[in-house]
Amino acid sequence: MTRSRRWWLAAVAVALVTAAPLVARAVPVQAPDRDAASLVAQVRAAAHHPYSGQVEMNGNLDLPVTSRFTDIGTLLGERTTLRAWWRGPDAWRVDKLLVTGETDLLHSGGLTTEWSYEANRAVRSVDPDVRLPRTADLLPPALAARVLDGADDRTATRIGARRVAGISAPGVRIRPADPRSSVDHVDLWEDPASGVVLRVDAYASGDTAPSFSTAFTTFSAAIPDEARTRFVLPAGAKVSFDDVLDIADAANQYAPFDPPDRLAGLVRAATPSGAVGVYGSGLTRLLVIPLRHRDAQTLDDQLRRSAGVVESDVGLQLQAGPLGVLVADRGDFSWLVAGPLTPDTLVTAARDLQAGATLR
Amino acid sequence: MIAVELGKLLRSRRTWVTIGLVDALPTLVAVLLAVTDLGPRPGTGPAFLSAVLHDGTLFPLAAMAMVLPLFLPVAVAMAAGEAIAGEAQTGTLRYLLVRPVGRTRLLAAKLVSVMAFVLLTVLVVAATALLTGTLLLGHENTGRTISVSGTTLTTGELAVRTGLALLYAMLSMLGVAAIGLFLSTVVRTPLAAALGTLAVLVASTLLLPLDAAHALRPYLLTRYWLAFVDLFRDPILWTNVVHGVLQQCGYVVAFLAAAWANFATKDVTD
Amino acid sequence: MIRTSALTKRFGPILAVDGVDLDVREGDIYGFLGANGSGKTTTVRMLLGLVLPTSGEVSLLGRPMPSSAHEVLPQVGALVEGPAAYPQLSGRRNLAVFDAAGAGQGSGRRSRRRRIEEALDRVGLGGIDGRPVRAYSLGMRQRLGLAAAIMRSPRLLVLDEPTNGLDPQGIGEIRTLLRELHATGTTVLLLSHQLAEVEQLCSRVGVLDRGRLVLQQELDEICGPTGRIHVRTPDADGARALLDGQVEAATSTGLLVRHPDAGELNAMLVGRGIRVEELTLERRTLEDAVLAATGTGSDRVARP
Repeated sequence: MTRSRRWWLAAVAVALVTAAPLVARAVPVQAPDRDAASLVAQVRAAAHHPYSGQVEMNGNLDLPVTSRFTDIGTLLGERTTLRAWWRGPDAWRVDKLLVTGETDLLHSGGLTTEWSYEANRAVRSVDPDVRLPRTADLLPPALAARVLDGADDRTATRIGARRVAGISAPGVRIRPADPRSSVDHVDLWEDPASGVVLRVDAYASGDTAPSFSTAFTTFSAAIPDEARTRFVLPAGAKVSFDDVLDIADAANQYAPFDPPDRLAGLVRAATPSGAVGVYGSGLTRLLVIPLRHRDAQTLDDQLRRSAGVVESDVGLQLQAGPLGVLVADRGDFSWLVAGPLTPDTLVTAARDLQAGATLR
Repeated sequence: MIAVELGKLLRSRRTWVTIGLVDALPTLVAVLLAVTDLGPRPGTGPAFLSAVLHDGTLFPLAAMAMVLPLFLPVAVAMAAGEAIAGEAQTGTLRYLLVRPVGRTRLLAAKLVSVMAFVLLTVLVVAATALLTGTLLLGHENTGRTISVSGTTLTTGELAVRTGLALLYAMLSMLGVAAIGLFLSTVVRTPLAAALGTLAVLVASTLLLPLDAAHALRPYLLTRYWLAFVDLFRDPILWTNVVHGVLQQCGYVVAFLAAAWANFATKDVTD
Repeated sequence: MIRTSALTKRFGPILAVDGVDLDVREGDIYGFLGANGSGKTTTVRMLLGLVLPTSGEVSLLGRPMPSSAHEVLPQVGALVEGPAAYPQLSGRRNLAVFDAAGAGQGSGRRSRRRRIEEALDRVGLGGIDGRPVRAYSLGMRQRLGLAAAIMRSPRLLVLDEPTNGLDPQGIGEIRTLLRELHATGTTVLLLSHQLAEVEQLCSRVGVLDRGRLVLQQELDEICGPTGRIHVRTPDADGARALLDGQVEAATSTGLLVRHPDAGELNAMLVGRGIRVEELTLERRTLEDAVLAATGTGSDRVARP
């Protein structure tokens, strides 16, 4: 065999090996031809459908990260791998896989357990009225439920199908009708058999790449084993009980304020009824949290360090993709105003808040 | 030829010195941990290192996590770089070829010999780690081990999973060995081959966390190396482990093919 | 045994071997001469399949190379461009490693010990201890290389400068060894740049000059009589007068005479009263033949 023929053979071997992973992806997707409204209806109907699988989340939202604000900053700003088993709203488990361990959330019997392998510790808590988003809220089906909450199904349009976790998934695009939302559109792809959403991509106005994307890489619509969602404390591990889950829960329970019923034209939801207010729904949801001076100071410092931060007479404001964050300073305390809303809406909301919030 | 290569490997003082050096790091860490009782903060340091403070039987895995990213691949790169270029440098290559030893067979024997070196190193590191781990660490060992997912593993399960993890760690070195072997047929000195292999390794490590290089990730040499941690999740997360094995096999096919193409008709003039 | 036709090797722009038609017959001790860099070693590497020819063919023991390397090479012992061994291993261990590395005729595992000891004895290393080759002298390495080449009793020995690094006594020993091997039927291809060595040992000679084979002949033919007779005589003038026209040159002791028959010449001179002290047939030397066939040495770079 001549030298050049040997090299050709080697090149073919290299090409085959390199192309092998690509070929599987190149097979064209075939999804049922159904209209957008029926797909959305199927998703809504499958809200409590069980599932399990591995999820890959990728966020490009450059948020200031503080430990007091749980891991929300890294969840939205980095790549995260999760494993989820979902039997129903009261029996589920979501593992955040780390290179050196994992941090798991298990929920059953009204109790949530957070297991951290490296700390060898389990922390149990009862879900409060309000809390910051956590891994379980960012699974494709959970995130899709929030997007569709209050959305007008007639605005949904069909987009091309794509293969998600090996399933040919038909896609739907949701465009918020409300001009106050800073989300341009959200694309959903669902399992045509079960109606469980397999992938969610959220786009900010003017962006071509999704600001946040969450998708199954492996998926099963079968109901997971009951033992999966039950937590048995391993021998030798520490366990504790948390009365206060995070800063939102703490403020809601203990801050002496009452936010007004309306902010920037958005109506306050019935829960939480404490010092924290949630307004609007779906892609126009607004969250306001009163912050103690110390917490506000930490957040201020971190906001100032991130690029694109704007300072106005209302306070410090940052727009990270579709997500807006504003810290409105009121002297000895501050308001954190956050949501997928336009900067102007946030400013209006902050002004309304400063004018309308009352001491309890 | 394979038997001859293995005999040379086992008789070489250099083999044992290298293994000793690779083994020294985890042993040092074990001693330091035992003396200070200070584990790394969660999320930092090699996998399992915080866990060994209360369960010494996990120390072989922590030792693997320590040597796998750098020490082991450096040793493998040196051994593989030595394969053909080293024989060429001492002049023994021409005498092997006129003996005659088939060139393809020589390449295969060298790959087997490098992998035997990996096997030996991993086993020695694991054995010493088990010894130091159980003797120096793990005061609260109850005969049961906590999995990464918070479930309990029996000693039998732990042994099986540790065995799988060691096997996976060895397989992860296949790619390095194949690259080293290929470069060893290209360049004239073993050092150049070893450094070239390390360059690939460093490039992979640098590209891995880069979002812009995301499309390349499945092809990066070091992408799945630490996936052996997945064997200690409950249930075992197989996807990355399987991808890792396939990827390493792909590296072997590609670079052995290139090594063969280059070496089978190369003029041996050293 | 060895036959090449139009063997050519090009390394980039350099033509290292240019259309060589080598012909080594069974039973030859073939002296392959050439200055350093004349392409000898490259030719030998092509014979053994280490370097692939750019064009031309090689046949070794009647089989094409390198395609038949597996059948042919086990019957060939070689010393190519100096000996080489694993420096950290002992000489015995080195021989065992090389023997075990390949298979083929005469390399059985059971006979290995015996063959190693025999080969070491033959090259004069029988009493060597277990020290690593790293500690060997140049001469010892050379002997070890020879031992490796002969330990499977090859039909053909290809030896590149086998007496390098040896003292005169050692050179003599090797020469005796080669003669012995040759007597038991081994064909030898001896590469050398030392004319004297080749002249003493070889039956056939090939001369390579800048990649071209400029001479290939039996040594006896090369060193045949020139047709001239050297006559040593005190009566040079008388002889010259007598042999007018046949005297080609005068030396300090006598005359060089072109004459077909020495006996007749002697009878004639003595018959005419000219004293003849010595009468010898003039023969060509190998050096003359080589110098006549080659140009300047190839490591000499003269101005054009």
